[in-house]
Amino acid sequence: MIRSGLRFGLALMAVTALALFASQKIDSVLASGAPSVSLNAEHTGPRQVEDTTQKAVARDYAAAWQAMAEALEENRPDLLGPNFIGTAADKLTTGIEEQRKTGLHQRIVDKGHSVDVVFYSPDGSAMELHDTAQLELQVMDGGKVVHSEDATVHYVALLTAAENSWKVRAIEAVPEF
Amino acid sequence: MTKFVPLSPFVCSHFGPVEERAFRPASSGISEDSIWHLRSRTSDAKLGDYKRIDAGLKPRSSRASEMVAKAAFGCAAFLFVVCCLGLYGFSSELNLPSTVTAGTGMSIPTSGSGEAILYLVGPGTAIRRRVQLGQNLQLSADDLRNAGRYVISLGDNSATFFVTAAPVHTIAFLARPSRVPADTPNVISGTAFLFDRYQNLVLQPQPVKFELSVNGQILTRTEMSKDGVAYTKLDSSKKEGPAQFVASSGPASVRRVVQEVASDPCSLRMTAQRDKNGILVRTDPIRDCAGNPVPDGTIVTFTSTDSQGKSTVDARIKQGIAEAQLPASNDATISVASGVVIGNEIRWRNE
Repeated sequence: MIRSGLRFGLALMAVTALALFASQKIDSVLASGAPSVSLNAEHTGPRQVEDTTQKAVARDYAAAWQAMAEALEENRPDLLGPNFIGTAADKLTTGIEEQRKTGLHQRIVDKGHSVDVVFYSPDGSAMELHDTAQLELQVMDGGKVVHSEDATVHYVALLTAAENSWKVRAIEAVPEF
Repeated sequence: MTKFVPLSPFVCSHFGPVEERAFRPASSGISEDSIWHLRSRTSDAKLGDYKRIDAGLKPRSSRASEMVAKAAFGCAAFLFVVCCLGLYGFSSELNLPSTVTAGTGMSIPTSGSGEAILYLVGPGTAIRRRVQLGQNLQLSADDLRNAGRYVISLGDNSATFFVTAAPVHTIAFLARPSRVPADTPNVISGTAFLFDRYQNLVLQPQPVKFELSVNGQILTRTEMSKDGVAYTKLDSSKKEGPAQFVASSGPASVRRVVQEVASDPCSLRMTAQRDKNGILVRTDPIRDCAGNPVPDGTIVTFTSTDSQGKSTVDARIKQGIAEAQLPASNDATISVASGVVIGNEIRWRNE
């Protein structure tokens, strides 16, 4: 009787431990995953966007957002990686350095992007996106929350094709499209 | 002795003028009990004082409800005053325009007194500054040079606003391809990205002029930009040469060179003659349909077919012509081609 009770208790503990471990794993996957990007290229001109290009753009744009959120939160420009070039990389790097100097950082909880490809250059080397992003934004002064909001923010992003990926060359928030 | 506690002007104003109530008739429902109650409280008061207060007395029940109402009203008034003071003295509102042009700076009036910390976070900007309330906050042109969304926070107030691009200052111009066949429709594409002096994309529609000129022949087209981008497609000119491809908008102008070369050969003709090692084949000067010489280095293929089989030799155009040596044959059919263009055919007989 006692032995069966112990066995049951041990089994329960093992199941609980497994469940906790699994939930932690799932959380970490979700936390480390790139944000969702829903891409629409139906009204793109002057060139049509091929299916493989659509997938590549969605993948690379999501990776860029993930990198940007991490870099702005940890004040580490190196986390921007190869996702940004040109003015976008310059401005983000400057901003992160300013944040580091002043002790500020930003926290972005990315709830997804609805993206329209509005321009694809005839030679296939550049693309412009209209991104409607659902974001939870926080500006932090050390550990103090200075500003917090749930916002729908519109972005115009300019991407250029590199050897094997798309890179963000310019990204600007706008009041509306 | 009755003590008169000084009240704030706001609270005092809720009591009616004393003189007005002093001569109210005694038959106004005031009971003896009520009078006694007052007397017991103001036993040391002078008669004049008594009269002035007595006239305002009412039955106990109505007096209690009136006191409750007055207390509630007083509390509400107190809260109102506190709130007013709070807004005036301890905090400050942010009165901002919704959009600001990049590089123009901004002055934000504040109210209140004392110091507060100003936070400004935007693209390429992170400012933490101690400021004096009651004075205008000055944000410099340099603080607001990057277009995008900014968060400003002062005390307990925060707000967002947008910085939009300044006028066009530079153009990023993609001209494709760099080398193009002459006399071909819609073969040259130009894409212009408009930026201001701070490298912000100019999203307001702007006219962009595209101009393609080669050998004095000029082709011009004006397109309106949309979301910072304008593009066009142009025909290549009939004559070969380096075409100057210029995109301009406002004061900004960018030049690219597109090399227009001869198109495919138009009529490919060759001759054949006996040679000590075989058959020497040679083309006439090779030109496209507009008369432009096909560039040197272009591949021309000679093919000889006889009873032994097929022999093929590739030769490059050199100084406008191509030549090659084919194996000797008594009876062969010789053909010439360049790209998709096929030239004349020679029936070779060794007599």
